Order: sequence, then structure tokens, then C-alpha cells
Amino acid sequence: MTEHDAHDELSDALAEFATGAASGADRARVLRQVGGCADCREELASLSAVADEVLLIAPERQPAAGFESAVLDRIAALEPAKPAPARRPKRRRVYRALAAATAAVLIAAGAALGVWWATAPDRELAASYRETLGVADGRYFTAAPVVDAEGGQVGHVFAYQGDPSWVFAVLDGAPEDGTWDVVAVTGEGTDAIATCEVADASCGAGATVDADIYDLHEVELVAPDGTVLTATFTH
Amino acid sequence: MELSDEALLAGVAGGDADAMAAFVRRHQARVFGLALSIVGVRAVAEEVAQEAFVRVWRHAGGFDARRAAASTWLLTITRNVAIDVLRVRRDLATDPIAMAQWLIAPSNDGDRVPDSIGITEALRELPAEQAVAVVLSVHFGLTAREIAEREGIPLGTAKTRVRTGLLRLRALLEVNRD
Repeated sequence: MTEHDAHDELSDALAEFATGAASGADRARVLRQVGGCADCREELASLSAVADEVLLIAPERQPAAGFESAVLDRIAALEPAKPAPARRPKRRRVYRALAAATAAVLIAAGAALGVWWATAPDRELAASYRETLGVADGRYFTAAPVVDAEGGQVGHVFAYQGDPSWVFAVLDGAPEDGTWDVVAVTGEGTDAIATCEVADASCGAGATVDADIYDLHEVELVAPDGTVLTATFTH
Repeated sequence: MELSDEALLAGVAGGDADAMAAFVRRHQARVFGLALSIVGVRAVAEEVAQEAFVRVWRHAGGFDARRAAASTWLLTITRNVAIDVLRVRRDLATDPIAMAQWLIAPSNDGDRVPDSIGITEALRELPAEQAVAVVLSVHFGLTAREIAEREGIPLGTAKTRVRTGLLRLRALLEVNRD
């Protein structure tokens, strides 16, 4: 396909990407293809600038008195969710360690699933599952697909009840690159537990959590522009 | 001297609550106005606007002034939060087509901020169906398929309205700036 063909094929998708209305799958497709199409990048930039201006047309309205205080109260309640810059390297080391532990469990889980698909005898599955959990003194291991607003799957979140309990999110079709928040939603409220650095639509990140994994309702992946992807757990 | 939005966001990224308070005061009317134009209910719009500012606090470190103005970044966050709320709160029976027409109407000109005058006038120069399609896509996040369903038109027509509308707006804005 020539660059000109690529540009024509992408034209409608570029317009919807620029307005912010494109689905997660379409956004990921555009991001993949604009890399090899200079005309597409130029058109996307100019159409995005136009769409940004359209957002300005909403008339101003004053919120109720006390709005500013309400915002600041909510922010104060978030502490200490906002890490100081100097602490970031330490946090990244925690993620790497967690990634290694997660990998060990996932490999074991993969072996368990392999047994399940090959033979499916319940006792073998149960034995493999127990072995998997035993890697980190676990009691429960579950996973849920991450979906965008249109229901398209763009990743997975794994959750492990053990010592420690942890949550690990993997995106492979993120609609935009950048730093995404990983937010755990439980019956107690919401908690930003990690950040996921998306590059080429992909990332992986996680953290240990104090919450009971059985009480984990959702994990949200929140983009810098507010886009939310959600993994919903059914325990 | 008044600090720029970018300077305030740099302070917010460092955890400066005073910078955040100043940023909220400066933009709350605009953010609340946009949220209200999308969700249509004041109480819900306040929740949306609050959440938008909370996300600014969380993500200020990721703001890149080379990619967008601070106000654009803020309004994009607000729009996305509002659309998420609309998708969950089915009880909010908004009429995006009527709202899109209302947003462009001259009756709102008294409440517009100065930097929106050029784009508003450009939207009024488009065929009405293209202007509405662009606003439905930008403000309400409706895909071409959703616009086609709401307007009762073929999908290809909806795609053409959004794309052609954006291209014409681009040309009009370039002419007006020359």
C-alpha cells in the first residue's frame, strides 16, 4: 500500500480520532498507521487543532458557591496518592520486582491452563491451581479483560490474593501513549495504586494492595486526557 | 503579575495546593459550563467538573505545553469525564442534537469567552447539518455510527458530515487568521 492509499483509507478514522470520538480499537489502529504516513500525521495534527477549538464554544457558567473548596477537599482526601518526583525511581523498582513475581505466577497459571485445555480432569486442574497459588502463599487468583467504552478488549488485569496481594494491569491496545493511572475500585472507595507508562499502545504495571481481592469490583486505567478503560471482576 | 496556566500547572505537578486553587478559580466557570452543556443537570455537572480538576491534580506532571494549551487539555479532560458519566447514567435523558444546535446559537454569545468567537462564527458558516455533526462528535463523543442512528441517515453520510465539516472549519479559520 502506498502512503497515498494509506492516507485515503484512514481519512474518516483520522477525523473521528481528532474529535475524540473514535473507539479504542480505531484509535489504536490510527496510532499504528500514522507512523508510516507523513500526510496522515499532518492532517491529524491540523484536524485535532480544529476540534480543540470547537470545545471552546460552550458558554461559561458559574458553579455553586463552595465549588473550589469542594475540589480542594477531594484533593486533600487523595493524599498521599500524589508521589513526589524524587520518590518515583523507588516506585519503579517496586513495579519491576512485582513484575517478576507476577511473571512467576502467570507462568505457573499458564501451565495450569495448559493442563486444563489438554485433559481437563478436575483433580489435575485443582492440583495445578493449588500449585500456582503456592508460589506466593496465595489463596485466590483471578483475571478480567480491560475494555474500552465501546466494549472492545484492550488488555487484562490480574489480581492475586496472597501475601502480599497484588493487582497487575496489562494493556496492548491503549488508545494513546502517556502515563495512565491504575485505579482500584473496592467497596471502600477508589485508590490510585500505580501508573502505567504506555508506549506503542502497550504497557504493564501493578502494585501490592491492602484490599481483599474478593472486594475488588473494578480496576480502571485512566489516561492523561481522562479516557477510562475498565476491567470488571465477578468473584 | 498573574501566573500563566503553564506556570500554575507546573506548581500543581509539584503538589502546590495554592497553585491548584488558583487554577480552579481561573477555569471553574468554563469547565462547569462545558460539563453542563454535555450532561444537562447542574448537580451532575458539578460532580463532573470536580472530577476533571481532580484528574488535573493527578496528571499535571504529564501535561505537555508543546502538544496543547492548558485550557484545551483541561476541557478535553472535562469532556471525557462528562461523556463517561453520560454512558453510565442512562437516566440523564439529554438530547445531544438539540444541545448542539443550542451551543452554536447566537443566544449564547453573551456568555462566550473571547477566544471562542472565531470558531463559533466559522461553525455558523457551515451547512447546519455539518456544524451539528462536528459538535456531536467533539462535545458528545458520538461516533459516526451513533450520529447516523440519531439523525436517521446512512453511516457514510454521517462520516462525510464530520470530516467535511472539520475540513471546512480548518479552511475558514485559516482564512480568518490571514
